[in-house]
Amino acid sequence: MTITNPGRKGRFGWHMNAVGIIGAAIILFWMVVAIAAPWISPYPVGKIVDFDYYGPMSSQFWLGTDYLGRDMLSRVLMGARYTVGISLAAVTLACFVGVTLGMIAAVIGGWFDPVLSRFLDALNSIPSLMFGLVVVASVGSSMTVLVLTIAVLYAPGSYRFARALAVNVNAMDFVTVARARGEGTIYTIREEIFPNIIGPVLADFGLRFVFIVLLLSGLSFLGLGVQPPNADWGALVRENIGSLSFGAPAVIVPSIAIASLTISVNMLIDNLPRRIRDRSD
Amino acid sequence: MSNDNVTNWSGRDDRMVENAIRRGATRRELLQLLMASGIGLAAGGTIIGRATKAFADTPKSGGSITAAGWSASTADTLDPAKASLSTDYVRCCAFYNRLTFLADGGELQMELAENIETKDAKTWKVTLRPDVTFHDGKTLTTDDVIYSMNRHKDESVGSKAAAMAKQMETFRKIDDRVMEIELSAPNADLPIILSLHHFMIVADGTTDFSKANGTGAFKCDVFEPGVRSVGVKNENYWKDQLPHLDSFEFIAISDEPARVNALLSGDIALAAPVNPRSIRRLEGVEGINLSKTTSGNYTDLNVRLDMNPGDKAGFVEGMKYLINRETIKRSVLRDLAVIANDQPVSPNDKYYNKELQAKEYDPEKAKSLFKKAGVLGQSIPIITSDAASSAVDMATVVQQAGQEIGMPFDVQRVPSDGYWSNYWLKAPIHFGNINPRPTPDILFSLLYASDAPWNESQYKSGKFDKMLVEARGSLDEAKRKSIYDEMQVMVSNEAGTVIPVWMSNVDVLSSKLKGLKPNPLGGMMGYAFAEYVWLDD
Amino acid sequence: MNALIARLVAKRLGIMLISLLIVAFAVFFATELLPGDVAQILLGQSATPEAVAGLRKAMHLDQPAFLRFLYWLGGLMTGDLGRSYANNREVADLIAGRLANSLELAFVTTLFSVPIALTLGITAAMFRGSTYDRLVSVFTVSVISIPEFMVATLAVLVFAVYLKWLPALSVANDVHGLGELLRIYAMPVITLSFVVSAQMIRMTRAAVIDTLDTAYVEMALLKGASRRRIVLKHALPNALGPIVNAMALSLSYLLGGVIIVETIFNYPGVAKLMVDAVSTRDLPLIQSCAMIFCVSYLLLILIADLVAIMANPRLRNQ
Repeated sequence: MTITNPGRKGRFGWHMNAVGIIGAAIILFWMVVAIAAPWISPYPVGKIVDFDYYGPMSSQFWLGTDYLGRDMLSRVLMGARYTVGISLAAVTLACFVGVTLGMIAAVIGGWFDPVLSRFLDALNSIPSLMFGLVVVASVGSSMTVLVLTIAVLYAPGSYRFARALAVNVNAMDFVTVARARGEGTIYTIREEIFPNIIGPVLADFGLRFVFIVLLLSGLSFLGLGVQPPNADWGALVRENIGSLSFGAPAVIVPSIAIASLTISVNMLIDNLPRRIRDRSD
Repeated sequence: MSNDNVTNWSGRDDRMVENAIRRGATRRELLQLLMASGIGLAAGGTIIGRATKAFADTPKSGGSITAAGWSASTADTLDPAKASLSTDYVRCCAFYNRLTFLADGGELQMELAENIETKDAKTWKVTLRPDVTFHDGKTLTTDDVIYSMNRHKDESVGSKAAAMAKQMETFRKIDDRVMEIELSAPNADLPIILSLHHFMIVADGTTDFSKANGTGAFKCDVFEPGVRSVGVKNENYWKDQLPHLDSFEFIAISDEPARVNALLSGDIALAAPVNPRSIRRLEGVEGINLSKTTSGNYTDLNVRLDMNPGDKAGFVEGMKYLINRETIKRSVLRDLAVIANDQPVSPNDKYYNKELQAKEYDPEKAKSLFKKAGVLGQSIPIITSDAASSAVDMATVVQQAGQEIGMPFDVQRVPSDGYWSNYWLKAPIHFGNINPRPTPDILFSLLYASDAPWNESQYKSGKFDKMLVEARGSLDEAKRKSIYDEMQVMVSNEAGTVIPVWMSNVDVLSSKLKGLKPNPLGGMMGYAFAEYVWLDD
Repeated sequence: MNALIARLVAKRLGIMLISLLIVAFAVFFATELLPGDVAQILLGQSATPEAVAGLRKAMHLDQPAFLRFLYWLGGLMTGDLGRSYANNREVADLIAGRLANSLELAFVTTLFSVPIALTLGITAAMFRGSTYDRLVSVFTVSVISIPEFMVATLAVLVFAVYLKWLPALSVANDVHGLGELLRIYAMPVITLSFVVSAQMIRMTRAAVIDTLDTAYVEMALLKGASRRRIVLKHALPNALGPIVNAMALSLSYLLGGVIIVETIFNYPGVAKLMVDAVSTRDLPLIQSCAMIFCVSYLLLILIADLVAIMANPRLRNQ
């Protein structure tokens, strides 16, 4: 279906296909896990419960044990809190700021657009690694710092993307018409630009989310991660990477957890009801 | 599966394994043999590695290898005074020589010095070996030695051994081969101090260290800081048979799994060190040997005695009872460790106090001590970092133990970057990591004397300081032993440093690489492997 | 129109100079925020106050940092990048070899990943909603869902340790012939392609679909043009802007952000150099690296913007 009939959209606008529902269900599942983790974890997250390490799945330790002999199930459940929470907060913040600024820049134009664009370009050209190192060394590490750092790292990219889309839309006839009607900037952005770029913006949101989930583990490498004994999923993969050669659940399970979350976020976005994706008509 | 089996393993058993190898037993059969006699895999491999080496003990000449350490950066140097990372030590050992060399079992050998004598431990006469030449053809004289030693006292050099060199007050040249070193106070350990890596001898007047001009077994061919170094055989080396290799390349692979993989794929012949958890992977692999050294490296939990909460009576003692040494040994280090007793002199040292027991894990006692100190239930921060090896895991072990007695420690992991200048020695409770040092005197003067530069817990005792000076100047072995015994007890009971275990260093090597022996100065044969190893095919 | 573009390029290059200056200052102040200086870091555990002071003096670090920064900036104007604090070598020498390595790796990766990404993205858009489209979409997301260090480690395990087809380390010192070059670059390039193509595929698909939905494409369809022709002739040029943009971002990542690949394959590139520079507080080296990243990033997005303008007739005429 390359081209849809606009007339039929209204009726089925809120319908979502099975793939989208599965995606939503998995996300919901991880959100519930994130909230309930402290109550459903079988063991304390930092406790060494097994003298062996990289243990296999067993009735005692459902998902095996990690490199210290800690229960993987508990660690993955608690990790959900950090991965889901931080990533969602950071990606929402980054995309909200980036997309809003991008649309404003595209619509207002004039001096505002180039100045903001060049400023954010300059900001974006500073490598994220260095940015991370400096942040950690100067303000320390906490959840707020994490979310803000990631948002700052990802907002300029989101801005560039949204602005490129919005500039294209802004050059279209219906926007010119709206302008001619005398509509204000806010109206133009909300009613004309945003609905027309929402599709690609959501796709971008999904990708950025994936990148952020992975970036978290990179940041813990710099010391800007979740504090021990807790760990986000990326960090769980990293700390147990040594067991990859014997395929221990300690490294497989968090990888699957990451994949299930990121894929389902993208499944949901790709299959959102048409009503949300294409509000253009 | 305990490591103690290795300690109990006698020379006779070694010979048994050796004989089995001669008879042509395969590696797998040998492992089964060892398993049957109660030796675990981890320990088993080490023993086999040792016996195999003894069997093939006829060095061969030629060939070249690539070896990998764990750290390299743009700060890599060819200046022995500034050497700070494993890569620096490896390079320095290959390109330069020291006056003395500390070999396997703590035995001191003469290197560039032919002989070092003293009557009072204060004035030392050093006679140099004749006919030693630098790579550029210049003959070694006492001028070179005096220049090299004086560099450490020059602040603009930035020597890491400045604190050690301070006691060498004057150097007197007698002739080209004989000189005197005058110490500010007697120190019977001088010949051992001279075996430290930083006291390599460079040519008189050297200021440019972009190339290495030493007397060592290899000439520096390539040196790219943070990337690689290549050494080629010095044909005029003053030791007749050495080196065996034609050339060697040294690189650093900071990612441990990558280091192990590079060895398994045959890209490199020696990787150091490997994580205890990787041992399981390496066991039973054809063509791989392990070499283990327990030389006195440790990561310690430091409680500053001059700050809250370390200044409250009972707190430090409580921490010493709360740290679960057995769990750290077994779970964090996978038995590649020996339980330690809160003092820095290692069990391999002849001055080690065997009577001094490690404090048992006793959470109830810790709890009552914390209650006495009035801190029970308070959230006390512990600073930890990946900069000190295994410190993050040790911190979580302490944290978990604390949680179980109602003592919620707030573990803060801070970045490795800048850890040593910002947190180490400074935070009220933090982790440190101390590399092996060859004598109790060096350890105590560096770490526990009142004016020690690295006094990790700010331990100050006039009595301790007096004993330190007395033992240092004494040439009477029995007396030294008894003083050091008592000093170990004092540190163990009074200082704020909790030293849970001695950590072993494990190097992995291709079975074709022979001649690698353990060394008290660290892994990779105290970083001096390049000169001594050979390839066997 | 050429004159217009020339004017734009000139203006952007001018702005680039200003941006560089801003970045230089920002990086300088950021480095000043970092605790410890090069003398302290070099001395490490043996950094007693006297030792630090002595070394600082010997390294001429006792002048105010800002003054040193201005000297460095002055040197830069004459093309002199200065000397590294950490090892007293010319920064230009330190960077040259490693920059060449990084560019090589980025170039090979681009050569490999861009055609694949474009093909997958465009075809997925053409067959939107089909099983093929879904497969591509699931594939792209799962490919980036696996942490980079896991892909790299897994590749080494399979191809170097078990199969022994490829070397575990990518050492480009003595390369003889194309075959060896391919062997050395195979694993880093595959790993990096995993990371960068996903974004390109998704953006290409989204952008092409977007233009397919517009009225003029609908018109072309009504006129009976073939689907292939519509996509290549009508949709693709209009979608070029966002696509090139995504490519530019990926490329700039390939230059400075590949620390994990450099670490695991022991590949000496500029990312590791940068981390070294920051951790030794080596101001001239940090600054020089930052300048390189900044210039390459700004150039790449300038090119992306130019392509976008040339591809979109409406923008062209503005």
